[in-house]
Parts: sequence; C-alpha cells; structure tokens
Amino acid sequence: MNDILLKIEGLKARVEEKEILKGVDLTIRRGEIHAVMGPNGAGKSTLSAVLAGKPQFMVTDGSITFMGKDLLKMAPEERAWAGIFLSFQYPVEIPGVSITNFMKTAVNSKRKALGEEPLNAAAFLKLMKEKMAFVQMKPEFAKREINVGFSGGEKKRNEIFQMAMLDPILSILDETDSGLDVDALRIVANGVNALRTPEKSAIVITHYQRLLDYIVPDVVHVLKDGKIVRTAGKELVAQIEADGYDSIN
Amino acid sequence: MSDNRITVAGREVFRKLVIVPESEDWRMHISVEEGASADVTLLILPGISCTADFTIEMNGPKADCRLAGIYLCPENENVHINVEMLHKVPQCTSRQIFKGIVSGKAKADFYGKIVVSPGAQQTEAYQENHSLLLSDTAKSNTRPQLEIYADDVKCSHGATIGKLNEEEQFYMRSRGIPQDEARALQMISFLSPVIDGIPDPEERERIYAEAEAAIRSGFLK
Repeated sequence: MNDILLKIEGLKARVEEKEILKGVDLTIRRGEIHAVMGPNGAGKSTLSAVLAGKPQFMVTDGSITFMGKDLLKMAPEERAWAGIFLSFQYPVEIPGVSITNFMKTAVNSKRKALGEEPLNAAAFLKLMKEKMAFVQMKPEFAKREINVGFSGGEKKRNEIFQMAMLDPILSILDETDSGLDVDALRIVANGVNALRTPEKSAIVITHYQRLLDYIVPDVVHVLKDGKIVRTAGKELVAQIEADGYDSIN
Repeated sequence: MSDNRITVAGREVFRKLVIVPESEDWRMHISVEEGASADVTLLILPGISCTADFTIEMNGPKADCRLAGIYLCPENENVHINVEMLHKVPQCTSRQIFKGIVSGKAKADFYGKIVVSPGAQQTEAYQENHSLLLSDTAKSNTRPQLEIYADDVKCSHGATIGKLNEEEQFYMRSRGIPQDEARALQMISFLSPVIDGIPDPEERERIYAEAEAAIRSGFLK
C-alpha cells in the first residue's frame, strides 16, 4: 500500500492579481501530523484554502495529488467526500440554518456520494450526541443557527465537532488556536488527538508554539513568502519560539 | 380581479394564508377595529404573474396587524405588491415583512407605504422588504414610503437587494454539501423569517414544504 496521502509539487497560486504561493512542495504520509508555521502573510491560509478548493483562489502552476487523485480537478464538496476537512480560521455564520439540519445534509450528502444509505433519524441523533459530548457542547447547541452569536471558543469547538462528525482522512486546522483561551484550546486539542489513527493525517497551521504543545507534530515546515524554506522535526518549534522567523531562511 | 373586503372587529383574530392560485390580480382591503388583530401571509409561487394590492386600515385603538409575503419568480414572472398600511387612530401596531427571490428574466416590484394620521399617537409600524436577485437579467424594485403626521410613534422600514453569499456557500461545500443543496439551504433560510412568523404550526410546515419544492424546481435547474 502506498502510504503517501498528499503530495503537493511546485504549487503556485494567486488571489486576484497577487501571487501568494510561489512554488510549494509538501508530502504527507498516512498517520503523520505536519505543522505549517510562518509569519503573517506567508501564505498559510492560502495553502489551506487551495487544498479545500476555495473558488476565489487560482492555481497557476504545480499539482496536488490526494490518495492518487488529482485534487485540483475536484469541486470542494468532492474533496470533502474524498476525506479532506478544513477547520476554518474564521468560521462562517449562516443565519437560519440549524446545526442539526446542516450536519444531517452534510453527513448524508457524503454517504450518498460514497454509495451508502442515508443515516436514519435515530442513528443520526445518536452520532450528534456522541460527537457533541466529545467537544463538550451542551444539547441545546444542536438547535442553534450555525456560528450565529457563538463566542470565539464555541466557533472553534463547532469546527472540531463537525470534523468529528465527518471523520476525515486529512484534517487541515487553519489557525484553530487563534482567539482561544487555554481551556478551549485544551478541548480542541484533545478532540484532535482523540481522532488520531495510523491511517489519518493532519496539517496544523499556526503562528505560535502553544497549540503544538498539545498536538505534537511529526514534521514542521516554515512557510515564508509563499515557499517552504525549512522542514525539520518538532525541535524546530522551540527554535522558532526562541529566535523568531527571522532566524530561518 | 379577485377582491376581498374584510372587517375585523371586537377582539377578533383574523388569520389568512393566501396562495395566489393563478395569474390574476388580487386585492384585499382589511379594516381592523378596536382590539382586533389581522394576520395575513401571501405566497406567490413560480409561474404566477400578478398585482397584489393590500389596503389595511387600523381603525380602532390597540388594533394589531402582521402582514407578510413571499414571492418566488424564477423565469419571466411579473409581480407587483402594493401595500398601504393606514394608521388612523392611536396605539395600533403593524409589522410587515416581504421577501422575494427573483431570477431569469422575472421582474418584482414592492411598493409599501405606511401612513400615520395626525393624532394616531403611540403607533408602532415596521416594514421590511428583502430580495435576492439571482441573475443579471432579473429586476427587483423596492419603494418604501413613510408618511408620519404624529410625533409620538415608532416606525421603521428596511429594504435590501442582494445575492447569495459565496462565503457561506464555500463553507457548506467544504463540508460535503453539494452546491445546489447549499443554494437551497441558503434560499430557505432567507425565507425563514417570514415563514416562522406564521402562527399555525401546520400551516407553517406546509409553507416550508411549498417553498422548498418551489425553490428546488424553480431556481436549481
């Protein structure tokens, strides 16, 4: 079995007229957790948006292969069905759509795409309940409109809840630690760690060391000005914390 | 022309759901007397072109009115909605909410006037009209008007014309919800403030079902 899950080669991407990714190479194997660190404006969020297929981002060169398939030819929903999940840095508020209705549509769309029967109401509610407990969400959470009036911590817990519901193969956490207090950070990190298996991988995009104290990466990359300038083991995190990104070129 | 004249009196509650049955013009004139209330919801489904005229007279103190409407115009419909909400005496309340989705080459106009007569103090009158415009060739006009001749009142109107939010769509698609399904969810949630105001739960469910079916067959082709 080929244990390479994701292979990014020579990836260049732009938003409107501005080139942001200038040739990114990255290979992730099954079971690995990769941290992508870097200063503001390096292209970290662009990388996550391109992986998830955000239409406003234009790939101008390079390739992304996920489980042997050409990811760039797939619509965002097809990428989700294939097992990619993006935890948004700024989760979107959707007034008028309840979490329950949203998740039921998402879970059953994926099942349909994979040729499985939709979950019946009882099985779905059982799954909801289990995954809500997993991120310490109260039962009334299920009835709320998506992210409307949520605190920063609730929004991020909602992302991890959705991740648990959809059971992805590759999770991309885009600055999931931003705006979190220590308790919320711990809940989120415990959630992510509990989902780890030897088959599944994650990309943890972050600015700071603190999330990586809880989710320990196998590989650390530094992204600067649209390129990966250094790849090393977890010891690189401490060096960045001590000396800053300027020390790495 | 279908013409309806109704007087609601003596603490009576008048509730009416109007689903415009065919392309003919439609008029309703309601006089709401002291302490009475009227609650009317209008539904104009795809394929219907019409002018719908409402004249509501708030004729007795503490009368109350909720007037709501949905218009769904995916192809080449031509819909006009005219409302005159006339507050003639003190202490009456009225709330209007109209929402429409317009696409293809359809045209929808909303003209809504609130008149507060001299002496109709402590009136509360609100009006909202919001449209989603889904094609470059569809047209939507909104003309709210307030004429207020009393000084102790609370009145407001709000009008917007917009498109489906792309950030919401990407968020839903990234969770595996297909684009059309995401659009359907957005349109239903856009209409939900109108439907949620329908007092009878069975009628509410029925209108949700009608609206969803109309959205799927009309706007997601």
